[in-house]
Amino acid sequence: MVGIGDKLLGYATNPDVRNRGASGGLVTAVLAAALEKGMVEGVVVLKRIDEYEAIPVITDDVQEVLASGGSMHAVPVNLTKHAVGRKIAMPGKPCDVRGVIEQAKRNGVDLENTYIVGLNCGGSMHPVVTREMLIRMYEIDPEDVVGEEIEKGKLIFKTKDGEEKAISIDELEEAGYGRRENCRYCTIKIPTNADLACGNWGVIGELAGSATFCEVMNEKGKRLLDNAIEAGFIEVQPADEKSIAIRNKVNSAMLKLGDEWKGRLLTEIHDQERLTYYIEQFADCIDCGACREVCPVCTCGEDSKCTMFHSLADNYKMSMYHMVRLLHLSDSCIGCGQCSDICPVDIPVTTIFRRFADPAQKKRDYSPGMDLQRPPFLELMLK
Amino acid sequence: MKETIYQTVCPGCGIGCGLYIRENGNGSVSIDFLKSSPVNLGKLCRFGMKLPYYYSRPASSKTEGVVSGAEEAVKAAASRLKNAGKIAMLSAGNTTCEEHIAFTRLAETLGTVVHTGIPVYQELPSECHPHLEGMPLAEIENAEKIVLFIDPYVQYPLLVRRLLVARRNGAHIISAGTKELHLAHENRDLSPEQYAELELDSNSVIIADVHPHTESCHTKQLLNLALETGARIHFMKPFINSEGANRLARDKAGMMGISHIMDEIEKGDIKTLFLLDSDPLEMMPDSDRTANALNKLDNLIVISSRDSPITEIANVVIATEPLYRKRGTFINAEGKLRENSGQEVAGIDAMSLLSRELGSEGFEYRQMHGYLHERMIETLANENRKPEYGIMQCAPVQHNGACILKYLFNPFMWANQPDDNDFVLLNMNMVRSLKLRKGGMVRLDSEKGSMKMRYRVERVPDGMILTARKLQVATGTNTTVKVEGC
Repeated sequence: MVGIGDKLLGYATNPDVRNRGASGGLVTAVLAAALEKGMVEGVVVLKRIDEYEAIPVITDDVQEVLASGGSMHAVPVNLTKHAVGRKIAMPGKPCDVRGVIEQAKRNGVDLENTYIVGLNCGGSMHPVVTREMLIRMYEIDPEDVVGEEIEKGKLIFKTKDGEEKAISIDELEEAGYGRRENCRYCTIKIPTNADLACGNWGVIGELAGSATFCEVMNEKGKRLLDNAIEAGFIEVQPADEKSIAIRNKVNSAMLKLGDEWKGRLLTEIHDQERLTYYIEQFADCIDCGACREVCPVCTCGEDSKCTMFHSLADNYKMSMYHMVRLLHLSDSCIGCGQCSDICPVDIPVTTIFRRFADPAQKKRDYSPGMDLQRPPFLELMLK
Repeated sequence: MKETIYQTVCPGCGIGCGLYIRENGNGSVSIDFLKSSPVNLGKLCRFGMKLPYYYSRPASSKTEGVVSGAEEAVKAAASRLKNAGKIAMLSAGNTTCEEHIAFTRLAETLGTVVHTGIPVYQELPSECHPHLEGMPLAEIENAEKIVLFIDPYVQYPLLVRRLLVARRNGAHIISAGTKELHLAHENRDLSPEQYAELELDSNSVIIADVHPHTESCHTKQLLNLALETGARIHFMKPFINSEGANRLARDKAGMMGISHIMDEIEKGDIKTLFLLDSDPLEMMPDSDRTANALNKLDNLIVISSRDSPITEIANVVIATEPLYRKRGTFINAEGKLRENSGQEVAGIDAMSLLSRELGSEGFEYRQMHGYLHERMIETLANENRKPEYGIMQCAPVQHNGACILKYLFNPFMWANQPDDNDFVLLNMNMVRSLKLRKGGMVRLDSEKGSMKMRYRVERVPDGMILTARKLQVATGTNTTVKVEGC
């Protein structure tokens, strides 16, 4: 039996799962065990198409869960909406978890039915940009890549012939590659808002690369882990002080870097420039509505305020759609970057929204998506 | 909880945006973003975002207006085709290359050709045809000067990001279309005689489109401009596989435009129309007139993957699987081969059965795909071809009258999909002269009738009214109208 707050090192007992998983397959095995033992009806997995493409699917097949696994930094999807209305278990980056919690505040997700195994995240990359980066910066054929990893501030790619090539993330980002813009200024790297917070930071010595550091964050996390141990899917051992210290150190370094990017990108907009800035930023919008559709915290459905107050026939210099959304998301935008990713005219929507929301959230010392203790400051919390 | 996911291409226009279609256990369809697609990086326009609606109406096979099995429909089609007189076959490019090839096989059996509905191929010298093929969209980003004869925001929205990249890279962008574009440095309403003022050279790119209602004179003028200045020219196309359908055509000069086909039907010269995923009621500007013409046919036979106005009135409908489930390929506007992950071949199988019923040989998907490779693959690479045509003369069609209502053809208009584009665009001079009230309506009168529309103010030429949706008062792509405030 594990306890809330325990910090453990663990891995899958099945050698195949352990070898295929990014860090010993613990996350895969925990999710599979939850399905096997009936804790959930389905598990969200990333169905791998290739090294740069995967699609989230919900499966009720334990073997399909066990066959998934492996980190995919070049697949920047958000899994939040797959949790809506379902009794599932899912892996999740900090932004996936934040999305689920914001949904829970609005009764979009029932957290009692949703188990989230959080994954440490230093940032993700756009697949097409990654391919270009591999050719130009790494001089590697993208088709030769068999794995990638972020370690000690470097992005490492492994190729078919067993070679590894590492370049510092700073260098890549200065050249316009590397992590997506929102990931650079993200300040949640260890998903302490999930039921379990897992990752490879702090896994050292002979377990390096073949085990996961796992922190039990709450009662549900304890249930998940106990279930997987009892089912014989995983083995765990307490993490020693050195492992814990290294994990904290990596986290601190990542957060420091995040703060630096935040200072560079989320600068204050002066009052005199504010209107011009927003009008100009949204001027090329083609009204596709994709930014709303993909937003993991939006629960409004078809008849949302942003669309009801907006008409293509309007002659406003800035659309009501964006004005309403800026206000509406100021207490809930988690900066996941999905809206920027899918904007057909490359408007940096996330950064624009974060520049609007950040001062308001900072003033109230409020971080959306971290817990259910505080309601959104512009809304009634239904949960 | 099982879901089925298909990797496919958006049928909205010829850009060929990649996406996923997710079929849920209850049969409903939703979209997901294919971020690794090099064409669009997972991004979709307003039409792409509304694909679940587009795919919500699968076709049903019908024989003499009554729902039937596909085999019965195929036999009924064969019976009608065997006894038909002059047959016109139309496939505008709304389906896979393989189905288009299969349709072409049927045309050979029936002793006719497949038309793609785009008239410029018939009206331009054949040495111009290679220059109507698209160029790699990424090359637009590196142009020094770009002249637009389209409205990318409305007609080909995923082109906007390419143009914005070009602008960031230092390109000077000129809109020579009918509407002021935010991304353009200059918005100029130029007559062809003034094109020299554009000062284009070999580092310039001209972007226009060819579609079923393109005036060939306009295309000739643009080809002349490219020839005289050395600028590259890129033609966008309106349907998912327009590029493929036109590249696959054996006898481009023999292909009729859709208006020509409808004229022949009106005159009674064509009595049988055989369609592959092409709906004249959607594609023609005046649906009422088109419906009247189609009533004169002896045989209207439709192979279709979705329910559309034409499937309501056809004698025979042979239903096939939705486009996203089809096994097959498409060629996008830049000449890239795109492939579906779907594996269904009901469309090919139905055409094979029809071929046998008509006394010819049947065929399989792999033969159609093999033919595509033989015929097409070597031509897919898009080198910068040197023009082999000469300067062409033409006399543009003059539009007289106080006001012209002009269609701004776009994916919603081609596919008859609902959208919130229920307004017309007109300029401030017209608002002032008619004393239009903010939020009010404008009345449009044509020889066909009268209707009220909301309006939006844009910088369009005096006397021009643009619409992005089909209107009942329209008699063609340009309609003379009288306008009043109301």
